[in-house]
Amino acid sequence: MQSWRGETARTDAGSMTAPAIRLTGLSKDFGPVHAVVDVDLQIDRGEVVALLGPNGAGKSTTIDLALGLSHPTAGTAQLFGGDPRAAIVDGRVGAMLQGGALLPDLTVAQTVALVASAHRAPLPVENALERAGILDLAARRVSKLSGGQLQRARFAVAVVSDPQLLILDEPTAAMDVESRRDFWLSMRQFTAEGRTVVFATHYLDEADFFADRIVILGAGRVVADGTPAEVKSVVSGRTIRFEVDSGDADAAAAMIPRLPGIRSHDRRTDRFTLVTDDSDRTLRALLTAVPSARDIEITAHSMDDAFLALTAEAVPLLTKAV
Amino acid sequence: MPYRYILLESLRQLRNVRSLAFTFVIPLVMLLIFGSLYGSSGQQEQRSGLPWLIVTTVQMASYGGMLAALSQAFAITTERSIGWNRQLRITPLSGVGYLVSKVAAALVVALCTIIVLCAVSIVVLGARMDALHWFTAILGIWIGVIPFALIAVALGQYARPSFAQPLFTVVFLGMAILGGLWIPLEVMPTWVISIAQTVPSYWLNKLGQIGANGAGNALLPIVILAAWTAALAALITWRYRRDAARA
Repeated sequence: MQSWRGETARTDAGSMTAPAIRLTGLSKDFGPVHAVVDVDLQIDRGEVVALLGPNGAGKSTTIDLALGLSHPTAGTAQLFGGDPRAAIVDGRVGAMLQGGALLPDLTVAQTVALVASAHRAPLPVENALERAGILDLAARRVSKLSGGQLQRARFAVAVVSDPQLLILDEPTAAMDVESRRDFWLSMRQFTAEGRTVVFATHYLDEADFFADRIVILGAGRVVADGTPAEVKSVVSGRTIRFEVDSGDADAAAAMIPRLPGIRSHDRRTDRFTLVTDDSDRTLRALLTAVPSARDIEITAHSMDDAFLALTAEAVPLLTKAV
Repeated sequence: MPYRYILLESLRQLRNVRSLAFTFVIPLVMLLIFGSLYGSSGQQEQRSGLPWLIVTTVQMASYGGMLAALSQAFAITTERSIGWNRQLRITPLSGVGYLVSKVAAALVVALCTIIVLCAVSIVVLGARMDALHWFTAILGIWIGVIPFALIAVALGQYARPSFAQPLFTVVFLGMAILGGLWIPLEVMPTWVISIAQTVPSYWLNKLGQIGANGAGNALLPIVILAAWTAALAALITWRYRRDAARA
């Protein structure tokens, strides 16, 4: 209800159908460092998108560029089909940024009220606090908040303009597991009303739990763009390493491609490396087919492995945007 | 202009008890000491014909107002270092709006300081002047404080948090001494007096004295203070544009 009142007042016909975010050929250099390299990305209204990537992948820079807080070296960033600043002035964008802190001397309610006073059609302060689930912290000073409470206070600040698009840069940093879960549950309520959410994280489980699309950034480029299931399949694979006696090596090499779940394999004389989607089934079959296999070692792919693989463009598993 | 934000921001700075104590206490103590020193005998300053107590009150109110305005520099450096204005960039508040809110807050805090110091002089030290002259004195001082509100913004823009304190000290000490806000300039060597006539605090004091006197040529102080204001506004705008272009 609340959101529709604002939306009809703010939206003009021309930008009614424009995507929430459109980045075109976006690049940003900091001196010799290419922080963001030729990023093309469109995020439609109502999408919940995770920007996933290790530190230094260009997540925060991309967010700054999308919000118009930083000038691109090349390319353009549009929000709702127009200049990012115009969307911000319209109150259609809320954000929790890296390095955007609150004033320690103010209470939570005073902080939200101060930011609200800068907006044209803000929500009532209590309403914003309620959405962030921190009505009980209204009178507490910002300096007295725990890490998780502080993030929620920043969330209240981000939603006080009743935005259609919410951009969150590592919103659950400094939260413990339970507050992270609570945070995402309260976010569900927010997106259930058809709003767009883009959040940066380096937790795959968080992206998987909450996003319906995951965009992976590596070294400033979009290296993968797909559903959580697609992305997880890159990460969920396991690696099986083993050795065989020299005499059995050729026979083993012939058997391996026929094992269940195998995605790729590699042989260095007597030593084999298999990448599998289902390590249990592969291993059972392997022990039957190659009884002399020994020194067996199974390792899970970490997110870092996936990033490395994707950013090196060695494994073009998700090819949508590579 | 984001009036609501400017209003809340000014009230916030007024509520900031710690910095207020800092800006009130020093000029207040000096007023009580110098005021009772010069004031009790009812002597008059020769040139303006004003009682010394009034001259001292105007000096200390000017000093207090200047200090209050300048101390807004700390608010800006602190907010910059913790990232508060980064947060504000996700609001309709423009960079200019932010700077205007700081100038407004500085002027509100300064006005309160000026009025309280004059009130103390009246109530505690028994300074007497008709209401119109108090009004013009306070108005004169307040107008004279405008360049200092801009100096505060410029300091806030240029100084890193670790460097803000020494820079602030140098600026306000220099301004207080050269403006004759602590010690009457008459006791200074002539070369100091000639330098003094270039700094805004000298003209701030002058404008206050003219206001208290209800007579004198206010045009020259106003022109010089306006020139300072324009120059500082240009400097601040230039710096702001450069920062924005670098982002």
